[in-house]
Amino acid sequence: MTRCSECAVRDRAICQSLCEADLEELSRLGRHQTLEKGQALLWEGDESLLVGNVVDGVLKLCSTTSAGRDQTLGTFYPSDFLGRPFASTTPHSVIAVTDARVCTFTRSAFDGFARKHPDLEHKLLQRTLSELDRARRWMLLLGSKSATERVSAFLLDLASRLPAEPVDQGSDGAIRLELPFGRQEIADLLGLTIETVSRQITQLKHDRIIDTPSRRAIVILDRAGLEACAGEL
Amino acid sequence: MWSYHPELLETPVPRYTSYPTAAEFGPDVGAEAFGDALQRVTGDISLYLHIPFCQSICWYCGCNTERANRPERLASYLEALHREIALVGAGLSRTARVRRIAFGGGSPNAISPIDFVRLIVALTQSFPLADPVLSVELDPRSLDEGWGPTLKAVGVRRASLGVQTFDPALQRAIGRVQPYAMIERCTDLLRGAGVTSVNFDLMYGLPGQGPDQLADTLDKAIGLGADRIALFGYAHVPEMFARQRRIDASALPDQAARFAFAAQGYQRLVSAGYVPVGFDHFALPGDPLAQAATSGRLHRNFQGFTDDAAPVLIGLGASAISSFPELLVQNEKNAGRYRMMLSQKRLTGARGIRRSGEDRARGALIEQLLCGGRTPLEPAIAQVIASRLAPFVRRGLAIVADDVLVITPEGLPYARAIAALFDRYRAQSERTFSSAV
Repeated sequence: MTRCSECAVRDRAICQSLCEADLEELSRLGRHQTLEKGQALLWEGDESLLVGNVVDGVLKLCSTTSAGRDQTLGTFYPSDFLGRPFASTTPHSVIAVTDARVCTFTRSAFDGFARKHPDLEHKLLQRTLSELDRARRWMLLLGSKSATERVSAFLLDLASRLPAEPVDQGSDGAIRLELPFGRQEIADLLGLTIETVSRQITQLKHDRIIDTPSRRAIVILDRAGLEACAGEL
Repeated sequence: MWSYHPELLETPVPRYTSYPTAAEFGPDVGAEAFGDALQRVTGDISLYLHIPFCQSICWYCGCNTERANRPERLASYLEALHREIALVGAGLSRTARVRRIAFGGGSPNAISPIDFVRLIVALTQSFPLADPVLSVELDPRSLDEGWGPTLKAVGVRRASLGVQTFDPALQRAIGRVQPYAMIERCTDLLRGAGVTSVNFDLMYGLPGQGPDQLADTLDKAIGLGADRIALFGYAHVPEMFARQRRIDASALPDQAARFAFAAQGYQRLVSAGYVPVGFDHFALPGDPLAQAATSGRLHRNFQGFTDDAAPVLIGLGASAISSFPELLVQNEKNAGRYRMMLSQKRLTGARGIRRSGEDRARGALIEQLLCGGRTPLEPAIAQVIASRLAPFVRRGLAIVADDVLVITPEGLPYARAIAALFDRYRAQSERTFSSAV
């Protein structure tokens, strides 16, 4: 595996707190895996064998209802931690939304390492708490009645999880996001049709709440306005 | 204040955390009836999660628990509980709204904070949560520092500490050693975590206990500012709970002494400003439980007296009981069978009872008597119980006037015995229950 010091998510991933020597030891336990869009990393109900960090791309957590319908329960972006250390099964599937690269460990190796490094175990608790925070926001988003609320809340969620660049064009606080996926993927994640997603984005643009300088870029011009559309105000 | 009438307390009576009580459950009502009831639920519901593990087992305990000393057993129990959460959540009507989640046991903090948070994540993903009030029972002995930030981040607002007694000798006599400083630290930890209602469970009737020890324990509990205090009488039933055989039965206070302890506790707590809640709970006036008691909104469920008015409670975990207006169902008690059934994605309801219209009417009456000390009484029913109620009326413990039955202030320690007059399952029964005081 490539050296941890060169890792793209080195300063944000769970391993950020480790010293060089510990990192060296951890890196020997890990391996890089590339996933193609649509490929599963973990299957619902399977033995929990893998944990790891997202290095590049987007993955989703999903479950299949008894009616056979897929429901997205959350998303993973670069530097997010996947899988469940100290748990014997995987409650939900993890599937690549885009082509993705992940740095994985066998769970047993990672658990053993974490037990020897209380600091990492503490970090795991914090990650689990942010997982709860995200799960709460995501279920709220899925539970919202209108497509406007859902799309707006999704864009706010993206803004909090993707690296955002400030935009200097006199508009105070405007930020630019490079989307890692297109309208179709957004529609799938939100349980909406692509037409609905496109219509919502067009409307938000018309209301001067966002701008779409290219197909994969979104500029949030009016954050408070977006929060209002998301039903958060 | 209270007069001791041993002849009225002779017959053991249930605690009536439900009516009919669990003693009436049979194998003919189980998973299927539970599954059907789930689909029909609408409106507010509460969840209860049972964590049947403790760091060590106290000798007095009558709960369905085991020691948390085998990590693989704990892990496989949690795995089964996760499956149950997904299964029950998928089967629940989408018109239900979860307003409360209670964790009990056992000791929910026998699992790690990470495992606790994962349960909350699973509940969030599987149930229609509507900003629920979260409450947790905690064992002071395993409440280490990691729990503070966890309870805070999760948003737990109510917590209950198993204190029982502050007396070191009594603690040794019941196998639960936890110094005052530990309880003080735990109380601080909970306050720091934003818990606004802290309950202490206390006990009387312990082996070798005298009035001085109870007085000292009550003083310390008051001094630490417990918002709620539940003062229970220890129930010694070693033939049902083998672990109780370690308790010296010859040192147990007799019934007259137990009655005096209950009276002492009541007087001390009321004089310290606590509002009596039902027959064994107390709460400071600003606490929601005290407010429920004074405004007639108090209810009774498996956790005792509560301000929870939801008509449906769903129990998750081995031995947990679910309550619907028309049905009571208890999950499989045996942890091994519970895990096995969930590995096959099957609901585990194993015993229960359907509540007839009559059961519900009697249940409502018993709940009103225990929670508010009064209930409307139809002349026809009054006539049926008249001869058995007479001893209580004669002694000034109850009054019937204008078709209302009222338990007088002197009658409070007899509330369960009076309520039992309306229990059609044990009008004359000899079954074994804990003593009525």
